[in-house]
Amino acid sequence: MNFDLSDDQRTIKATAREFLSARYPLAEVRRLALDDERGFTDRQWQEMVDLGWPEIAELGTVEMVVVAEELGYACAPTPLQSTWAAGLLGADVGDGRGAVVVDGLSADAGTADVLVDWDGAVVTGASVEPVRALDPTRRWFRVSGGSRDGGGDVEKGRGQAIVMNAAESVGVAARAMDMAVEYAKERKQFDRPIGTYQAVSHACAQMLLEVEGARSVVYWAAWALDYEPETAPLAVACAKAYAGDAGRRVPRAALQVHGGIGFTWEHDLHFFLKRGEANAHAYGDSAAHRERVAVLTGL
Amino acid sequence: MDLTLSPTEREFRDAVRGWIETHHPGREPDGDRDAFEFRRAWQRALNDRGWAGLSWPTEYGGAGATLVEQAIFYEEMARAGAPSMANVLGLAMGGPTVIAHGTEEQKQRFLPPILSADEIWCQGFSEPGSGSDLASLKTRAVRNGDEWVVTGQKVWTTFAHEAKWCMLVARTDTDAPKHRGLTYFLMDMDQDGVDVRPLVQITGEAEFNELFIEEARIPDDNIVGGEGNGWPVAITTLMHERAGLAFALQVQVQIVLRELQEQLREAGRADDPVIRQRFAQIYIEAQVLRLNAYRGLTATMKRGAPGPEGSLGKWHWAEVNQSLAELAMDVAGSQALVAEGPWPFRFLRSRANSIEGGTTEILKNIVAERVLGLPRA
Repeated sequence: MNFDLSDDQRTIKATAREFLSARYPLAEVRRLALDDERGFTDRQWQEMVDLGWPEIAELGTVEMVVVAEELGYACAPTPLQSTWAAGLLGADVGDGRGAVVVDGLSADAGTADVLVDWDGAVVTGASVEPVRALDPTRRWFRVSGGSRDGGGDVEKGRGQAIVMNAAESVGVAARAMDMAVEYAKERKQFDRPIGTYQAVSHACAQMLLEVEGARSVVYWAAWALDYEPETAPLAVACAKAYAGDAGRRVPRAALQVHGGIGFTWEHDLHFFLKRGEANAHAYGDSAAHRERVAVLTGL
Repeated sequence: MDLTLSPTEREFRDAVRGWIETHHPGREPDGDRDAFEFRRAWQRALNDRGWAGLSWPTEYGGAGATLVEQAIFYEEMARAGAPSMANVLGLAMGGPTVIAHGTEEQKQRFLPPILSADEIWCQGFSEPGSGSDLASLKTRAVRNGDEWVVTGQKVWTTFAHEAKWCMLVARTDTDAPKHRGLTYFLMDMDQDGVDVRPLVQITGEAEFNELFIEEARIPDDNIVGGEGNGWPVAITTLMHERAGLAFALQVQVQIVLRELQEQLREAGRADDPVIRQRFAQIYIEAQVLRLNAYRGLTATMKRGAPGPEGSLGKWHWAEVNQSLAELAMDVAGSQALVAEGPWPFRFLRSRANSIEGGTTEILKNIVAERVLGLPRA
């Protein structure tokens, strides 16, 4: 029994944190989100390919989840998660990029080489129209028509895609919490830091409860997918429901801690709020996963 | 990361499971006295096996087990519905505090009878005027030769009527800043100066007591951690309370959760989508509680001592346990008006969860200040 990252996993995490904070400072996140048509650069994508990230799930689900959490922490705009998800659902992505269509919507479909649906069937000849997305750090498209081919047993791949999304929400929540705590230490009102007021400090403590809880349940699910498949479906549903909620509740609370400045376009917090909200609605929302928990526990 | 048990851990689990199966004493008898003696006998049986002080060092009668083995032990005990041990506070708090801060003589003197349940322990921390602000406590200890004379009042002292020793924090220096003037004593409960009165709680039971102390005597040798050093020693006790008991409590949650699921089916509420959502959320939170406890174990093993994040677990446990009981009451519908069966009692008892062992508000302060590094108010 050892509920902690291995040395190798820790190295992956440190590399990801270092790389992402260097390449995706918040000014670059903002530029990609608001001013770059595709939302990523060829150079950024190539660097991730050079790091071996598109195939990282081959090392293990936990390893992928480590990187996914860091992508959320950085709020990095990249088609990497969509590419992972397509591959996990069985698409032959090769050296290119993939995307997944769920409920007629797809992130990154406009720049993907392969498109698959939630059953792992390859989608061809479909109409792909950009939509204005709630979350500007990702390009979303409406996909209609076309034909579907193939697909098969994608139970594990779906679980991995769901947990990857949940892990991103952990990172989103962790960063929003860090921003709130930092702000609560610096911002003064009535001549003292607002973090000295319990209405504020207890809100921050609540964020930690949710972030750490989400992290525990996500890593459990990631581990179970590879090492305890009989537990995995339940663990995945628990992870998505809890981490999906944390990924939006924590940024909402962080915005409240920031007060008026947090509501401005100029402040970066809204990228996390929107990314967390979008994640919570992708791959089944919390209510759907709670219902799955009820079913899987025999209710 | 490996969430499975190692071969040695699995062997230990099987040994515990097998032993409980053959030694389980059956249902606890009714009545406080009988129940207490029943638990004492159970603890002695466990101690004969070497498991009462599972994680304690072997030189003091412990088994020197790892924290994971301790966790396995709690889980197996809960799984089998085994009774709890009589000397809970001595085992989980008093003993570890003596091991951490006591002299060699104190370890030799006090630890073995804790394990054998020959000497039961209670905790004299809270006072009527000092709950969350524990360091403001007023119970006074005045030196008189090589002993101390203690006068004051303590409250919420579980097992005081059974106890031989009380972990007593008293003020020995009224001039020092409030955290510095305290000393941690082991007070003999068996003397005229100590009067124990039961305190009836909202459940109608008297699980706790009030302690009226009038010129009780404590020899100098019974100070733990040195005169004026009572605050850090008391914190050790509280951290062990939050870390150690929290693990056992989360196991209890898993069991009660299964009972709730049964009750939900029997009451015909299993198809109600609102109830299903609430049940699933509590189930998930209970998993989070369990997983955090395991992560905490790994962290504690690497660091060597429980840290302030134990506060997070205790706070979360209180929330989960309360919402469990609340859901059970809602599931019962109008039958909840009848105060029979386990749930009405559990519901009422759970209201103390967010107060006992540190209120949720104080725990949030600890998390904010000591884990997140926010400035103190």
